[in-house]
Amino acid sequence: MAHDGPHIVPKSVLLKVFGALIVLTGLTVGVAYVPLGPLTVPVALGIAGMKATLVVLFFMHLKYDNPVNALTFTIGTIFVLVFVTITLLDTAFRGDLGNVNAQTVQEIQAEEERAQQRQDAIPADSLRIAPSDYPDQNRGASMESDGGS
Amino acid sequence: MATETAPAPTETEAEHDPRPEHLEHHFVSSEQQFDSAKLGMWVFLITEVLLFSGMFVAYAVFRQWNPDVFAAASGTLNQTMGALNTVVLLTSSLTVAFSIHAIKQDKVKQCIYYLLGTLGLAGGFMVVKYFEYTAKFEHGVFPGGAFDPHGAHYEHLADMAMAPQFFSIYFVMTGIHGVHVVIGMIVIGALAIMAWRGSFSSEWYTPVELTGLYWHLVDIVWIFLFPLLYLI
Repeated sequence: MAHDGPHIVPKSVLLKVFGALIVLTGLTVGVAYVPLGPLTVPVALGIAGMKATLVVLFFMHLKYDNPVNALTFTIGTIFVLVFVTITLLDTAFRGDLGNVNAQTVQEIQAEEERAQQRQDAIPADSLRIAPSDYPDQNRGASMESDGGS
Repeated sequence: MATETAPAPTETEAEHDPRPEHLEHHFVSSEQQFDSAKLGMWVFLITEVLLFSGMFVAYAVFRQWNPDVFAAASGTLNQTMGALNTVVLLTSSLTVAFSIHAIKQDKVKQCIYYLLGTLGLAGGFMVVKYFEYTAKFEHGVFPGGAFDPHGAHYEHLADMAMAPQFFSIYFVMTGIHGVHVVIGMIVIGALAIMAWRGSFSSEWYTPVELTGLYWHLVDIVWIFLFPLLYLI
């Protein structure tokens, strides 16, 4: 053999890694009871990622291994991230497909512009009405008395 | 000159390169054979990661669309059993690492004990899973169209249009993970028998090493499944 027996990870290292994994499991359960709002998912995934890294580096021996294995695993992981990210870029920003408008954006803008122009041409103040605006102030009352007779 | 040099290489070959029994003729050395097997296993593990990533993407998309339903449905899962199974699986990863540790030092008996320990823990994982599944089935919590929740713990899910979607994802992901655990148990059992027959030594233990890698990956998948399904 070209080397002096296989590389052996000491048992103490394996036990320490196991201890860290158990502590992180407790941590991920603990933070689940803390309201973190939008950070809930990133925190949970961060802890899981740390645990997975420990398993890959020490239990799966990648830290001491031929680097080509680490390269294989890293490239695969990058493709998983691409898969998740690109898919969510689509599905998270689709909007409400049930809420579509037959008009184009330009048509809607043109319509809003015309409405604005009409508003500018006839200011809202000019449309204000007060009782004194009526030419015959007794007309209403007289109509009522007309109806009564 | 030719007669002088010709016998020399055959002589050294016989002295220094008595090809071990396990070494295939197309490999230069045991080390090269071992590295090739390991690289092949890592490529296979990546295909496994991509298989599960498809399901993780389905989870991410539906969770992003229905965060409230997913939170409510995830709240009905048994966190204690999920946490227990996480610890069981982590411990089984440790025992598999120990079995490789043992066989590298020719401690065959220890290796067998650790393999059997792993087998027991994997069995324990499946027993917990069985209790979890039956508790769901008893209350009509089935995947997809058969979804008909009843009982105080699950009743509120009946009004949620997307709750069956969560449980479809839950059952498919944990189910396919469970299939991986069962396959791992069969292989680890076979390894224990092979080790008992004296097939492995520090010179050749490739199947133990590769099964260990597979088993750790099954553990990693659960490391992500547990918080995503049970906790958040």
